[in-house]
Amino acid sequence: MKNIEQNLQNAEGLLAGLNREAVHPEPNRLDIVVAVDDLRPAVKALQDAHWGYLSAITGMDLGAESGQIEALYHFCYGAAVTTLRVRQSRDGQSVLPTIEDIIPPASFFERELQEMLGFHITGAKTSDRLFISDDWPEEVYPLRKDFNISQAAPVEGRHADELPEEGVIRGSTFVVPIGPQHPALKEPGHFEFTVDGEIITAARMRLGYAHRGIEKAAESRNWIQNLYLFERVCGICSHTHAMAYSMGVEQLAHVEAPPRANAIRELVAGLERIHSHLLWLGVAAHEAGFDTLFMYSWRDRETVMNLLEQITGNRVNYSANVLGGVKCEITLEQAKAIKEGLIFLEQRIRHYLEVVTTDAMFLNRTRNVGTISFEEAERFGLLGPTARASGLVRDVRVEAPYGAYVQFPISAVTETNGDLEARCVVRLNELLVSCFAIRTIVDNLPAGPLTVKMPRKIPAGETVSRVEAPRGELFYFIKSEGGERPARVHVRTPSLCNWVSVLEKAVGRQLADAPMLIAGMDPCFSCNDRLVTITGTAGRRTWSWSQLREYGIEHYK
Amino acid sequence: MSTLSSLFSLLIFPTGLTLIFTGMFFEWIDRKLVARFQNRVGPRWFQPFADMVKLFAKEQIVPGLAGPFLFFVLPVVAIAGALTSALYVPFLGMKPVHSFAGDLIVTIYLLSLLTMCIGLAGWNTSSRFSLVGSTRALTQMFAYEAPFLLALLGPALVAGSWQISEINLYAQSHWIVFTQPVGFIVALIGLMGKLELPPFDSPEAETEIVAGALTEYSGRGLAIFKLGKSIELIVGITLVSAFYLGGVSGILPFLVKTLVVLLMMTLLQTLLTRLRIDQTVGLWWRFGAILVLAQILLIIILRGYVL
Repeated sequence: MKNIEQNLQNAEGLLAGLNREAVHPEPNRLDIVVAVDDLRPAVKALQDAHWGYLSAITGMDLGAESGQIEALYHFCYGAAVTTLRVRQSRDGQSVLPTIEDIIPPASFFERELQEMLGFHITGAKTSDRLFISDDWPEEVYPLRKDFNISQAAPVEGRHADELPEEGVIRGSTFVVPIGPQHPALKEPGHFEFTVDGEIITAARMRLGYAHRGIEKAAESRNWIQNLYLFERVCGICSHTHAMAYSMGVEQLAHVEAPPRANAIRELVAGLERIHSHLLWLGVAAHEAGFDTLFMYSWRDRETVMNLLEQITGNRVNYSANVLGGVKCEITLEQAKAIKEGLIFLEQRIRHYLEVVTTDAMFLNRTRNVGTISFEEAERFGLLGPTARASGLVRDVRVEAPYGAYVQFPISAVTETNGDLEARCVVRLNELLVSCFAIRTIVDNLPAGPLTVKMPRKIPAGETVSRVEAPRGELFYFIKSEGGERPARVHVRTPSLCNWVSVLEKAVGRQLADAPMLIAGMDPCFSCNDRLVTITGTAGRRTWSWSQLREYGIEHYK
Repeated sequence: MSTLSSLFSLLIFPTGLTLIFTGMFFEWIDRKLVARFQNRVGPRWFQPFADMVKLFAKEQIVPGLAGPFLFFVLPVVAIAGALTSALYVPFLGMKPVHSFAGDLIVTIYLLSLLTMCIGLAGWNTSSRFSLVGSTRALTQMFAYEAPFLLALLGPALVAGSWQISEINLYAQSHWIVFTQPVGFIVALIGLMGKLELPPFDSPEAETEIVAGALTEYSGRGLAIFKLGKSIELIVGITLVSAFYLGGVSGILPFLVKTLVVLLMMTLLQTLLTRLRIDQTVGLWWRFGAILVLAQILLIIILRGYVL
């Protein structure tokens, strides 16, 4: 706790000349309002002093009455969070200077601000659309409070997805497109690799093919409904999303989940990590062309999937969380099944660890491929196992233990090489740590109730909730205005921060390495994409939630 | 009458239909074994046949940028090459249908025809994935072709003939695999390279370039290319077992020996990770070619002393 205070004081010191007003909304947070012109110096001051890393930029529309929109730059350092708040007039040009030259991953955050809220980012290298669909009308911003679905009628002729001339585009370069439909990517993302023979000379990407407008939808649902909505952000790490959201809401409501609930949350998170990383190992092996490892690791993953099903009743969206606790009990029988399952899994994980470090043919494809040094990892703002493989400890569970991680701590797993092999090793070693933690929890499960009572209305306030998802830090910013619904929920998923590692590292490598590099950061597209445009026989149209819901009900009748 | 019997032997037995069905049978064994090794269930015995029926019944789409003539002709040339090559090998352990001095070279050429057709087909369709795929396929061909040829020349040199039937006859009294182990390994791996089986499947690496050179092929065209590959699989295996595993005479030894070779190939497919194209070329020229050359030189020198 002392550390946090110290860090926050340091941050305040660094920003001394720049702040207009500073408040501590929560013990671990410092909220500083800065002028637009002071933004770049303020970011630079924090960056130069190595004060944490830029975790997310939240954009908020404060509504027509106040006439303002805000951009919040969240820096995290251990458990301490410093937020730089920039206010702009809502009407006319809301200009923000870019900070992507100081912090490269900020480019993704800034483009989100630009597309969703209509900030104009000056000085940015590219203003290509990243999330929003190509036929979306100009000057219509979905996250503005006065946005209406009727504004979003698709604009004819604004299609960038029309295919460039086969083989040759932009002069004499040869572009190999990967996605949005491609056997290497089971999820919709689009990469353009410009190649010279087999060597990649440029890389570009596009997201948003499955953007579901979850953040917008959250504003029209009550606190409880949202739990189930956010659980569906991602099908692989659904538990961590639900956990981050419920922890955030609990913080706002000043309610603490019972110890037993926290322990069960950590336990499920641990099992989820095992399932996620084994899934990843299979995908990575498949990208490399080692299908045997793919089949074996997915077979063994069934063990942990069955355990999750036994505990929660579900295989994918477990919905173990409720606001104020969890809804599933760990019975003696389940405890026994978990322990038995873990023995098998540990043995298999050790075996895979041996495979990925000794199989000469697999090492051909992983060793010294896509190496990211410690300095680069820090500069790119990498998170999770991708960062840890380069020796950079970015793990919320260790840096800022939350929930049961205080009572059942885990140790950070790092590697130093930063290549694809190191990323395999880090992930597998992490699983051994998780197995150990799960076993400890099962043996020492605190007694007590599973839930505490939550108020229907959540007191006004803002909070930041950070949870370590299998892919890295998951960041939730939640704002309540004291009603039954949140005023704003912002989700920043770990994959968004890790893209830079692919785009920067693919250049100069072989085309054959590209899928491996993409897989190496364990991308999760559904996490990145959260409005739906359906192309059907009736042409393109944008649907509202209720229409989409009706369509869904009709379709699956 | 002799025309009729030649037609029969050409179209029905031993080459022609019999060859095609045996090819599919071998393809099934290959797929099934790999599946079992990978802990999967694998296809049922008629799956390759069902695939063919399905593909032949499907519409064939000709991409806009492809030259239509070559698009239709290339698969036919490819399968013709593969079918013709079968005339010169002791298929099913029987005497080859045709035989002349030097048919070994013709057979090897006919076997390469398939790869060249696939390469051209990819180039002709000019889709981005197939362009990269055909470049890779042809690059790979230049990598394995010479070592593979040299590996088959080894037995030819010791047998003192370039006629497949005579080498087969010589091999029946000499297990060349023991005297020329390097040649055997190179021939086996070369065959896998020829058939673009893992780990040499970078020309059709689905995670990078979808289906490589054949990405734009569908329906009949694809079916014919696939058939060509099945036939090449069986012809290639027959050649390797006839040369190295004590020759093939009679249907039983043929089945046993070819299946042993196939088993070895499936094991390698299961165990190995796909090589990048540069790694493939490096492997062949740095190890394969040099080792097999050294062996050939050794044979020539030894023969010089003996004779």
